[in-house]
Amino acid sequence: VPPAHRFASHTGEVEIEIEAPTERDVFAEAARALAELMDGEDGEPATRDVRVEAADRPALLAEWLGELAFLAETEGLVPERVAALELGEGALRARVEGRTSTPRHLVKAVTYHDLTLEERDGSWFARVVLDV
Amino acid sequence: MSAPRGAGLDLRPVGESLWEIPASSRPDMRVPARVFADRELLDAILDDRSLEQLQNVATLPGIVEAALAMPDIHQGYGFPVGGVAATEVPDGVVSPGGVGYDINCGVRLLALPVTLAELGGRRETLVHEISRAAPAGAGKEGGIRVRGDDLDRLLRMGPSALVERGIGTGDDVERTESQGCLEGADPSAVSERARLRGEGQLGTIGSGNHFVELQRVEEVLDAETAAAFGLREGQVAVLIHSGSRGLGHQVCTDYVKRMDAAHRRYGIELPDRQLACAPQSSPEGRAYLAAMAAAANFAWANRHALAHAVRESVRRVLGGEAADGTRQVYDVAHNVAKIERYDGLEVCVHRKGATRAFPAGSPDLPRDYRATGQPVFVPGSMGTASFVLAGEPGSIERSFGTCCHGAGRRLSRTGARKRIGGAELRRQLEAEGIVVRCASNRGLAEEAPFAYKDVDRVVAVVERAGLARRVARLRPVGVVKG
Repeated sequence: VPPAHRFASHTGEVEIEIEAPTERDVFAEAARALAELMDGEDGEPATRDVRVEAADRPALLAEWLGELAFLAETEGLVPERVAALELGEGALRARVEGRTSTPRHLVKAVTYHDLTLEERDGSWFARVVLDV
Repeated sequence: MSAPRGAGLDLRPVGESLWEIPASSRPDMRVPARVFADRELLDAILDDRSLEQLQNVATLPGIVEAALAMPDIHQGYGFPVGGVAATEVPDGVVSPGGVGYDINCGVRLLALPVTLAELGGRRETLVHEISRAAPAGAGKEGGIRVRGDDLDRLLRMGPSALVERGIGTGDDVERTESQGCLEGADPSAVSERARLRGEGQLGTIGSGNHFVELQRVEEVLDAETAAAFGLREGQVAVLIHSGSRGLGHQVCTDYVKRMDAAHRRYGIELPDRQLACAPQSSPEGRAYLAAMAAAANFAWANRHALAHAVRESVRRVLGGEAADGTRQVYDVAHNVAKIERYDGLEVCVHRKGATRAFPAGSPDLPRDYRATGQPVFVPGSMGTASFVLAGEPGSIERSFGTCCHGAGRRLSRTGARKRIGGAELRRQLEAEGIVVRCASNRGLAEEAPFAYKDVDRVVAVVERAGLARRVARLRPVGVVKG
């Protein structure tokens, strides 16, 4: 199964569901989903090294998306590619390559509501609810 | 025939427009869950998971009386939107998710000294000027840049710090809930990330359901109170809906994470991770309350700066006399936690998508409104009515001094977008005589009027339940949106 995401309906908010062959792919696919949602324009190429920490893997996924939302709001960075993604125990490192512009939509926050990241029948599934 | 909706819930009528799910319905509930609604609104409420979320709120340690929901309740994440929870001071919990990401999102109403007829052909110019002076949407250009000690002062004091700089007036501050300043605000409890996100966003509307709307007072329903609020039929008013922007979003994010990590230490079990909380008296609880107060003060300063931008637009289009005669009716918060006293008991009242509605005689009200009760603003959606209400004694008896905050969403954002395109909605609104300035067609479609419940019905419920009474109905004639 190639990595894929879909936006599910949730009154007032946006819910992202992700399926991918590996846990690492879930994190990369989540960045693609977020970029689609933010809808950036053509801008200057930019690269940022990101490191986030959290108590467990689902919280790490929330923290990762939170960091990307923060970069979009403060620097206008919308990711195009995630390189060198290292998933450690309670920490993640990655190089985010993208463009800085004025994203049309920002994400207010990544919530812990229904936050899911788990292995299901040999592939990985995640659900994240965003406040937009 | 299919089973009635909500068949699994033990939902009983317990008073005028009031329904209850008893605490015995789930082993983890500490108090009952109560919802103010009529049968039709209740049917809509049962369409989503909002009452299950309200039951989850009823499990929080230290919650007193009941987890309450207003008739505009809809499903949120963690707490439902339109929920109220009062927890005992000092050891009951405080939950950042019970206030929400948009700390002190709220509504401010300005009354212009002109009627719509007097405004005449200058209406479009005024809406255009406001859209230039009050930036909307995702971009952060155009806001007032505040950092360092200036930002600290703003976080501690709220709009009073702007009045010192010649922005707005002392009267505006006086006619703001809590005079625009929550006690105990501590800038050092606000992270550097939160400060960075808020930088440049003071005086900006933001996106989502936030707006600045030009309204006409369509009908006065309580003449005496309307006169005290400075409202008369035909008059032009401006409704401002915004909050603490990126600064508040980050404060909530920071403390949900911190309390998620800490709550087990306090022996707290939660049915939903987003309800993360800690005792108010704990280091985490105290730090959150101090940061939340700072973000709330930032939000009041933001609406204060937006009101100033509106006044300056009025000055350019209608002249100095009209600008100086533009009176702030009031400003209310609808996402906040506040320490209040009921029947001698001190509680921390979480209002998430709910408005304080104190009755006449309350010492917390400005002198002008002590005899009328507190003004409450209930925006409908674009294209439908909004209401001005006044707080009634029933709110103290039944809902910790609280009433509804809006019409309440009925459809998801994607659901709304599937039914109408932004360009088509814009044409429809303009055909109804509403001038629209909107940064994003997608954002416009998500806020389509049919995505919301019937505001007349919501307001009728809070009136019948004795929480607030109707004072005036407004109708939009211009919309500036993100």
